[in-house]
Amino acid sequence: MSNTYLDQFPAEAKVVRAAFYSSFFALAIGGLFGIVQTLHRTDVYRFMDSADYYTVLTAHGVLLAITFTIFFLVGVFTWAVTTSLDRGVENLRFTWAWYGLMVIGTAMAAIPIFAGFTDSIDMSASVLFTFYAPLQGHPLFYLGLVLFVVGTWLAGVDWFRSWRAWKAEHPDERIPLPTFMVLTTTIMWYIATLGVAAAILLFLLPWSLGLIESVNPLLTRTLFWFFGHPVVYFWLMPTYMMWYVMLPKFSGGKLFSDPLARVVFVLFLILSVPTGIHHQYLDPGIAEGFKFIAMTNTMFLLLPSLLTAFTVVASMEHGARQRGGTGYFGWLKALPWRDPVFTGMALAGLMFAAAGFSGMVNAGMNINYLVHNTFWVVGHFHLTVGTAVALTFMAVTYWFLPQITGKALWSRPVALVQVVLWFVGMTFMSNAMHRAGLLGVPRRTAEPQYEGVTFEAAVGSVGELNAQIALGGVILTISLVLFFANVIATGFNGRSDELPSNGYADALSGPEDAPLVLDNLKLWTAIAIVLVIFAYTFPLLSIVQRGGLFGPEVITFPVSLESLAPIAAALEYGGLATVDGVASAVTGALEPGRIAIAEVVR
Amino acid sequence: MGALLVVVAFTVPLFVELRTVLSWVGVELTVLESVALAAVAIAALLVWALWPESDGPDSSNAG
Repeated sequence: MSNTYLDQFPAEAKVVRAAFYSSFFALAIGGLFGIVQTLHRTDVYRFMDSADYYTVLTAHGVLLAITFTIFFLVGVFTWAVTTSLDRGVENLRFTWAWYGLMVIGTAMAAIPIFAGFTDSIDMSASVLFTFYAPLQGHPLFYLGLVLFVVGTWLAGVDWFRSWRAWKAEHPDERIPLPTFMVLTTTIMWYIATLGVAAAILLFLLPWSLGLIESVNPLLTRTLFWFFGHPVVYFWLMPTYMMWYVMLPKFSGGKLFSDPLARVVFVLFLILSVPTGIHHQYLDPGIAEGFKFIAMTNTMFLLLPSLLTAFTVVASMEHGARQRGGTGYFGWLKALPWRDPVFTGMALAGLMFAAAGFSGMVNAGMNINYLVHNTFWVVGHFHLTVGTAVALTFMAVTYWFLPQITGKALWSRPVALVQVVLWFVGMTFMSNAMHRAGLLGVPRRTAEPQYEGVTFEAAVGSVGELNAQIALGGVILTISLVLFFANVIATGFNGRSDELPSNGYADALSGPEDAPLVLDNLKLWTAIAIVLVIFAYTFPLLSIVQRGGLFGPEVITFPVSLESLAPIAAALEYGGLATVDGVASAVTGALEPGRIAIAEVVR
Repeated sequence: MGALLVVVAFTVPLFVELRTVLSWVGVELTVLESVALAAVAIAALLVWALWPESDGPDSSNAG
């Protein structure tokens, strides 16, 4: 008789299952668009117009960076709260309601994005993941994003309700670690999403509806990055949770330190938000001093990441030694490398270390200028969200699937090959992206080649880098196919009674060793808010003072080819007229001088 | 076998970057030469890992 999550919480398991399947659906479509744009950009295989590249890129970014990650997150967090508090959700209808809201929001945002592929529907939202003004999407896109975020807010309410109900029954107990991680991450999310909510509800949505004529692009960009950097930690926190509470279990041991894990999550709550301006080092209109403050905050974020590296590796070593491993490095051989769950998560952690180093380059104000808006940045976030997060999610899926379906995994060897292939494919792809970025190859373009500009590789050639990117993309696609084959085939398996029990790792140093103040969520929330006020009040005031709340008059660029043609014609005509006008004015101004000189000579 | 698979996978970033590292000391490899070098290294690794242990008189005392 098994004791899976499905056996313990059958109703909640359905919600988690629905969230995971929604996440995988987004991963499938987003991944498909990934290989399409890889082959297009590297000029290996092109079957679409380059103008459609931006629609593909938008769908790829939104579906993977928002939909895939956050649907998986809400599934994992619901599992974590119910499992660690050992109680079901307070109101299952409420739980289904926020899930439904997220689905509706996704559909609403996706409709205008996909409509961008056809001219027969008069809507589009090819505004990329960052939806910078003056790029303007259809109002449905912004409304969809709002509903999706509101869905996540309500999910947070659900988790807090569970915790408060549990606390009423266990007044003197420490918050179980997984729930503590969920709550701190949720508070961080509430603070972070205020930025994007303001950007959309006050500016972008009214602007796309025609209620206001213009926006201040620097203001909306800054509000976006108020949310845009912490969203990185919103993806990473469930990943960290898996590394802290599951990886030690799969290693065969215990978490090294529960208090250290709490410190890490508190630091992320405090430091994640007041750092967003480091994405805007090259934005004119924000004073260097504000950027320096953002850089300093960002560098402090290295601390929890390094603490995590220490704690997770120490936990793995403990597990390996429990399995008979010995020696300074000999214990590595005792780890369960045949287990796809462990191996996938370990490789994801390894890649995250590399991502940390390229992230430090991004975060440094001076050295950032070398790589800003280049392919380097794309290589960086394919190591963070594309590997540390995505590979951990895929690997841990092989443990979760039996827990939420009651069915044994279809094939562990295929799963092992899948996670290793992801590591190899991403090595090829992200390495070449980083190196291309160092040459100055730009990001966010279907046509990185410009007439009169030659990118010279230090070693090899740009063509070889492109081939390496395409090879990596193909390997990643094969890995994705194997992942979905395993997920789908597992669904066709019969129920099994031989499944591992639900649970997570115990700690060597438990919550009793953690100072009580760590569980004071009000204190950490207050500190987080104060830091945000310090970091953002003056930059935002300065931006509004210089550019106005709704900005100077800007030309809107609705992203459709029909509207671009007349705009281009108008610009061309206007430009020629201006040149003619200037030439006449200059000639007119010079004419009296010419006459005067002629008089003198005569 | 799982550990061996991971070790083989881990050779990929090493050989991808080896080309850059060698260029610092004036050794320029082509892509084909890099691939050939990686193939030889992986083959050697597999032979070492999969070669059956000898049944010599000392083997009973090993480990």
